[in-house]
Amino acid sequence: MTGRWRDLALAGAGLVILLLVPLFGAPPAIRDFIMFGMAYGLLAMSLNLLIGYSGLVSFGHAMFFASGAYAFGLAMQSGKFSIPAAFALAIVFTAVLALIVGAICVRLNEIYFAFLTLAFQMLFYNVILGWVSFTGGDQGLMGGIPRPKFLGIDLADRTQLYVFCSVAFIICIAILRQLVTSPFGYTLRLIRDNQERAAFLGVNVPLVKLTCFVISACVAGVGGILLTLFVSGAYPNFGFWTTSGEAIFMILLGGSNVFLGPLVGTVILRLLNDITVTYTSHTELVLGIVILILVLGLRKGPLDLIAERLENRRQAAAQAVRDAADAGAADTRKGGS
Amino acid sequence: MSSIDSRRTGRRQILKGAGALATAGVIGMPAIVKGQSGAIKIGVPTILSGRVAVLGQTSVGGLKVVFDKVNETGGINGRKIELVVRDSKGAPQEAAKVTRDLINNDGCQIIIDAEASSGAFAVQEVIREIGVLCIHSNSETSSLTADPKLHVPTAFRTARQGIHDAIGGGDYAAKIAKAKGLKKWATCSPDYAYGRSNTAEFMEYAKHFDGNIQVVEESWPKLFQPDYTEVVTKVLNAKADAMYSALWGGDLVAFIDQANLYGLFDKQASFMVNLGDYGVVDQVKQFPQGVYSGGRYNRTVPPTKENEEWYQNYVKTQKHKPTNWSWENDVAAQMVVEALKKTNGDTNGKKLAEVIKGMTIKTQFGVGGSVTMRAEDNTLVNYIIGYGVSLSKEPYIADFQTSPWEPIYELEKQWKKKQGYAS
Repeated sequence: MTGRWRDLALAGAGLVILLLVPLFGAPPAIRDFIMFGMAYGLLAMSLNLLIGYSGLVSFGHAMFFASGAYAFGLAMQSGKFSIPAAFALAIVFTAVLALIVGAICVRLNEIYFAFLTLAFQMLFYNVILGWVSFTGGDQGLMGGIPRPKFLGIDLADRTQLYVFCSVAFIICIAILRQLVTSPFGYTLRLIRDNQERAAFLGVNVPLVKLTCFVISACVAGVGGILLTLFVSGAYPNFGFWTTSGEAIFMILLGGSNVFLGPLVGTVILRLLNDITVTYTSHTELVLGIVILILVLGLRKGPLDLIAERLENRRQAAAQAVRDAADAGAADTRKGGS
Repeated sequence: MSSIDSRRTGRRQILKGAGALATAGVIGMPAIVKGQSGAIKIGVPTILSGRVAVLGQTSVGGLKVVFDKVNETGGINGRKIELVVRDSKGAPQEAAKVTRDLINNDGCQIIIDAEASSGAFAVQEVIREIGVLCIHSNSETSSLTADPKLHVPTAFRTARQGIHDAIGGGDYAAKIAKAKGLKKWATCSPDYAYGRSNTAEFMEYAKHFDGNIQVVEESWPKLFQPDYTEVVTKVLNAKADAMYSALWGGDLVAFIDQANLYGLFDKQASFMVNLGDYGVVDQVKQFPQGVYSGGRYNRTVPPTKENEEWYQNYVKTQKHKPTNWSWENDVAAQMVVEALKKTNGDTNGKKLAEVIKGMTIKTQFGVGGSVTMRAEDNTLVNYIIGYGVSLSKEPYIADFQTSPWEPIYELEKQWKKKQGYAS
């Protein structure tokens, strides 16, 4: 089985596991936890496409999370769109927004890129706050998000909503995986490691970066749509800088060098949040301590650490085989002489 | 004592559930069984951290005062009331999730939503779906209950409402303006929906009652802005006769401290709807004298024995002073208790909603000693609204004048028609 088919099989298996959750009678709280995690997981995974694979540290990624949420919510509240049409519209809107922002930002490097994305995010956030008649301002989209039936699917039913979110989530993860294992993904890593070399090899660096930026934004937008469906509303803080910061925390917590690292980080962060919030109101303090331990102690995400240990072990085993082969060859030569 | 579930065993249930799912093939069923204690569980999503943590703290205080008393006298048909409080950190999506968790995971049968407005709208959508009884105890945004599109049959509000304050305040301001010849007005309110709508409504009704009033300057400082020098200077330069401000909490404290340096309150008449609350009084370095202050909570308003006793009991049991949020939550708790008594402890959302609709309870926070949950739009009416003049020391408010409700009802009807909320 090739890597591509293996990944698709794994995605299918992941979907089956997710779909088994309601079948085994899991309580609504667990389904809620997973749905919430899927929305934020897509935000973190898509951001890692920029940070981990392309070396583009964006501080403004939550803008696209919010743009997906608001575009979808507003389309549904208008009553003129079906859910699939609003879904598609929200992705197209997010893509166009990312295209405009990305076209300006991707030519800049490091800190300039980071801060310009932050500036665009705050601009978008302030448009949401200021355009009260359209977005509801700081109160968000009020009155709920209508969920008319389509193709016999009723998203007002919590189980069907869970299945819908699971399918959308797995499709996005599969797309991201295909992307990072494709030649395009390797080009991203090449740009991350040595942009000049990539340019000398004929890679159109700004175009590749822009493509990556737009795809990443679209996936974040899907995350925003899922959250909008979950909470039946969209709120300005979806696009606030703290949400971008949260996504960076998720990447830090899980690891940026392993594909599923940000997803693991999302689960850790959400679990930490849900557990600590039950015992104390000092959630941020607990999260801060955990992140300090990870940064100062492990110096990388847990998945990165595990991957590194496995790689070291594999290399040690390979070295042992080579040493044994060398020793055998030396013995043979000695015997032959 | 009403117990606040600090152990939050429900979260453990999540973890147990996750473990159960992992071994579902072997076990076959998740090992999650909701606790079946006899207690009536009431979930409270609120803000317990950050700059407005006092909202959650004093809201829970208001609830505990009532539920503790009920539990000490045997509970509801022998069943104790248990509060389960969760911090949403002020994020609406967290408020929605926390509310769902409180109901689905912690087994809460009733929700008292002590969130700020944006969180309250998120909670409203959860209640629309799940249908338990919910009382919004802090959100003052009028549309939450006034807009029929947002109506949820099992959701009510015991918080004061922005439009009521605006009409009562506008009436009071117009009387002062006529008496003192205050024609040129400046405004200084936070730059977000509450600040803008509150200010617009107050000035609209001030002009309604006194046609000579005109706004000559508007300042919109950002929410949580640390420095108000520019704003204070702008208000002073306007040379207005009076100023209205809807600043609140820490922003109001910072504004007053900085405005005092410029003698702002000596140079013009000032009207501040959120001034006279202990959360502000105790934080300001030099509490200004002679400012017209909206009624939030004060131990002398109303000047009754019951109110003083309530204040003393609150401070004694909760170890802090009450705020406006405390009385709003006190009323929410009292309504829940009365409703539970009428349903014999049945927590079914529809049944509780039926008895709360139109319910009148006796309380010192009402005009004439009672407040009513208006059946027409599930919102509280007849609570004490009014303005007084600030004093720099106890009791901090003097000459408090309670607004009559009849003009409020009348103008509220017109406002609803204008907004498209009523025909």
